[in-house]
Parts: sequence; C-alpha cells; structure tokens
Amino acid sequence: MIAVDGIKVLLFGAAADRAGTRETVLFAEGITLDELWPLIAERYPGLSPMRDTLAFAVNGEYARGDTRVSPGDEVAVLPPVSGG
Amino acid sequence: MFAFLEGPIDVGALISAAQRPDCGAISTFVGTTRIDESERASVKYLEYEAYRPMADRKLEEIGAEIERRWDVREVSIVHRLGRVGPCEASVVIVVASPRRGPAFEASRYAIDRIKEIVPIWKCEIWSDGHVWVGSQVGTRERASPP
Repeated sequence: MIAVDGIKVLLFGAAADRAGTRETVLFAEGITLDELWPLIAERYPGLSPMRDTLAFAVNGEYARGDTRVSPGDEVAVLPPVSGG
Repeated sequence: MFAFLEGPIDVGALISAAQRPDCGAISTFVGTTRIDESERASVKYLEYEAYRPMADRKLEEIGAEIERRWDVREVSIVHRLGRVGPCEASVVIVVASPRRGPAFEASRYAIDRIKEIVPIWKCEIWSDGHVWVGSQVGTRERASPP
C-alpha cells in the first residue's frame, strides 16, 4: 500500500513498460505538471525519450503542462492512445 | 451502453438492444484483431489496457457528443480489455437512428474519437516479442525507437 500524502503517479502502456512500474508516489508541493516531469524522468530515465509523445491527466482528466498539482492528486502518464 | 469487457462481446445482443420502433436504421461497426505478419514473425494476440475510470467517462463523452450532433436514439460502445485473440471483436459500436445517414456518420465518428481521446493502449504480442502500438516501444528488435 502506497501512502497518499504525495502525488500519485500512474503509468500506462509503453510508459509503464519503459519505467518498469505502473505506479509511484512523488513528494512535491505547488508545482506544475511541467515541473513534475523532471522528477518522474529522474526516477525512471527510460521514459525520457518518450517525453514529446506523452500526454498527462490530473485526477482523471487531460491536463496541460501548466496545471498545478498537489499532494493527494493523481497524475497519469499517457502514451499515445491506441484503442479500437 | 458504454462498457469495457474482459471477455467476448455479444454483438448480436447489442444490435437487438438497439432496435426501436422510432428508428429505421441501426449501424454497427466491429473492429477486429488484425494479424500482421513480417518475414519471420507474426502477431499471436493483442493485449489492451485502459486508464479507468477516465476511459469509461470518455466513452460516455463520445456518446454525448454524438447525441448533440445527430438525431440518434441509441448509442452503444463496448471495448475489450486484456487478451484478444486473432479475428475477435475488440470494439463494437452500435448506433440506432430514424434515418440511415446519421447512423452511418455517427458510428464513423465514434471510432475516430475512440482513437483520439479514450485512454486505451494496445500491445501486439508477436512470436518474437511485444510492441506497444502508437509508441513503438517493446522488446522486438525493429520496435526500438531511433
């Protein structure tokens, strides 16, 4: 069980594959998605080459890089979708 | 009906459920698992995963978009998750409308929007490794990004 007093980061598809995990927690406050990214990439360097292809969601909705995230939020790292 | 299913989709049941006295057309789109082959390998099956419940909400959003644009009386979208074998239905879209035009157009719109906004990912499991479609990330040699 992962503690909830951080920012919960979920990884999917190719991003989960590259990171070798589907879920992690980062501790940061009052930062934007753009500022969160280096923390994610530092923990999982294999993700770095995918940066330009990724979209993000905050609490289940697509979010831009300037969206602020706080402890308790859920950030999802979304590779290009490929349903159908 | 908007749903994700771990098992086979009952296409006939979805069509039957869309039959209504005020509709003269039911259009059905079935996306099936295409098996690509290269010289020395072939796709064995697909694996789908989704970010839920966001993906469920996005299917409902597509349904709402369709109802705003066209006169349709019933929209169903059902997508598979997990392992999907060759030729199986991975997605089924059923639209009922009083007239055929909106039924055709709305089902085309639905599959296009699924491929744009619904957080679903498809992984091809080949005989010699796997590839995440769209990212080209995986264990197959040719899948490695430049």
